[in-house]
Amino acid sequence: MKLSKLLASSAIASLVASAAMAEIKIGTSLPLTGAFSIAGAKHEQGYKLCVDMINERGGISGEQVELIMSDNRSDPATAIAQYERFINVDGVDAVFGTFSSRLTFPVANILAKNGFVHPIPAGGALRIYTQGHKNLFYFQPNAAEYVGSSLQGLIADLVDVADRPTTAAVVSADDFFANAVETGFLGKKVMDPATGGEVADLAPGYLADAGIEVVYEEKWPEEGFNDWLNLANSIKRSEAELIVALTASAEEAVQLTRALKTVRAEPKMVYYSQGTQVEFYEGTEEASEAILMHTSWHPDAPYEGLLGGEAFSNADFVAEFTERNGVAPDEDAAIPFAVCQGIEQSIIGAGEADNDKMSEWLVARTADDPVRTVLGAFHWDEVGLPVGKPFMVAQWNGGELQFVYPTDEFETSPLTHPKQGW
Amino acid sequence: MADLIQILVLGLALGGVYALMGAGLSLVFGVMRIVNLAHPSLIMLGAYVAYWAFRLGGIDPMIILPVALVILAATGVLLYKLVFEREARSAQYSEMTVLLTFALAMVVEGALGTAFTNTQRVTSPDYATDAFFISSVFIPKGQLYAGIVSLSIISALALFLKYSAFGNAIRATTQNRDAAELLGVNVNFVGLVSFAIGIGLAGAAGALVSFVFSFFPAKHWEWIAVLMSLVVLGGMGSILGTVLAAFILSVVAAFVGFFFGATWSTLTFFVALFVVLLVRPQGLFGEKPELA
Repeated sequence: MKLSKLLASSAIASLVASAAMAEIKIGTSLPLTGAFSIAGAKHEQGYKLCVDMINERGGISGEQVELIMSDNRSDPATAIAQYERFINVDGVDAVFGTFSSRLTFPVANILAKNGFVHPIPAGGALRIYTQGHKNLFYFQPNAAEYVGSSLQGLIADLVDVADRPTTAAVVSADDFFANAVETGFLGKKVMDPATGGEVADLAPGYLADAGIEVVYEEKWPEEGFNDWLNLANSIKRSEAELIVALTASAEEAVQLTRALKTVRAEPKMVYYSQGTQVEFYEGTEEASEAILMHTSWHPDAPYEGLLGGEAFSNADFVAEFTERNGVAPDEDAAIPFAVCQGIEQSIIGAGEADNDKMSEWLVARTADDPVRTVLGAFHWDEVGLPVGKPFMVAQWNGGELQFVYPTDEFETSPLTHPKQGW
Repeated sequence: MADLIQILVLGLALGGVYALMGAGLSLVFGVMRIVNLAHPSLIMLGAYVAYWAFRLGGIDPMIILPVALVILAATGVLLYKLVFEREARSAQYSEMTVLLTFALAMVVEGALGTAFTNTQRVTSPDYATDAFFISSVFIPKGQLYAGIVSLSIISALALFLKYSAFGNAIRATTQNRDAAELLGVNVNFVGLVSFAIGIGLAGAAGALVSFVFSFFPAKHWEWIAVLMSLVVLGGMGSILGTVLAAFILSVVAAFVGFFFGATWSTLTFFVALFVVLLVRPQGLFGEKPELA
């Protein structure tokens, strides 16, 4: 072989090799330890599974994906520092969002300032979307303030008038997300923390709309609260027929449920903001019976998504996740998987991992041409909230989390009402 | 009136559990001058011992409690030899142990997270979510049983400290380490055993915590401020003081929560910490610090 041919073939080989090794770097900061560690660990599973499967299918447009992940210890300052490091030191091409409104709110400013597409898996507080950022894309049905509409709809559509609760106890963690949900239930005003201006006035609130009188309200601190029996006893004494418990984590939901069982509270209906996780059932067992909660995802939802440019259904996701992790997924793993699908589709749609082009492509999605994920189809309004996606309501029955509302989306299980003991 | 009795009962029930959680911390500080910030993380380890025994073998947490105590005591021996013994003569020993135990807490948390994941756990024996009802007042069985076991263990420890020769050596070392050594007490060995007992108490407390509260590796950060406030109010190193502080603060917190809201009940412990340090830094039963 002549020297020139040898050099030419070597050059081609090195070009091919470098093309195959080219990588798209994606950074994400997750609360793998600290208060949000349970959900954070599941987000890690969802992101990892998605990236692994993309790479196994040849990467995004032939480029392998490298996922750079850091533990922010559930601390906002650490999350901010880590995203700045991803952008300025690691030189990532894109990012996945973090978990919780508390961490997402400050991170949103950093990502907006640097012009990064900000796909949000969990950050439903309306205030996040009213800061004027144009790079937000929320991968759950709607802002947390509007969660209560699903319960109001369920009561109106599925519960006989005579059986409807007429009084409610609303207890809530003093947490960014839980406060947002409470605002909608109680019809309070949403205020902008930066300007003090009014973002939205949700009066009279979903409970008032449903004709339910609030007879007890209580809030517990974000961290360090242990007096669950005292709280449960106060709820019982209020004789509320509906308990709306807006916890910041599944762990709090377990503690409160066990306390309500201990004091033998007797509500007709119980509604939680957290508790779809299998760990909730493990901690509460039969006490979980008939407890309602909103959810963004259900394993039986017949959603058709895309992965690697090919069809990838929600059922495929459940099967792959279960096979690789030995346990079935819950929404805390499904939501980040959908975020990853959205970023993959935006890079393919933009033709490259350029955040301006990715953002343009995502903004241009419509009901007819949406992002397709295991959480269903997404397109967004001007602030980054999804359009036309109702929250689903699930209920624990016989150890199974059953999808009960709305009834016009796909097949549902019958509602258990009223709740019979714990 | 029934409401007030109910709040008192709930406060006392919670205090019983806190008492054992704080007792080991107090003992270790009293004898070794170690401010053990890793104590709650070791309580988590004890809780995991109880959890897996219950999950895999259906063994009641109160039955497995002695096993958790022994496992954690052995861990205490190991930690003492590896981490604390070599610096025991340092003039800045207490200050150093704050940093050492802070690091140790993070190591324990990381190890627990790696071994058991960050998923929340709780054991569910039937009594954990049941209660005795006397008229309209209820007594939660889980916290009642935990409180009885807790006070039994602390009483046994108090008897051991008061009436055994080794207990006298521990108390002598607590009161004046140098004088005890001059009198022939092997203070290093006393330190080792005391540390092992203190960490063993963390294991026992963990077994009780496993069915009273849900837990996960990072949960220990929520406990340290509560436990420190008990130990400071009781008097650093005074087990009796810690027990009394546990009951006082738990009852006060329960009433504060009832009358002023749940947010304020948690603050009770922090306010107590500040007030005690400002007004009576030696706590209820601690020695007044000497001026240099």
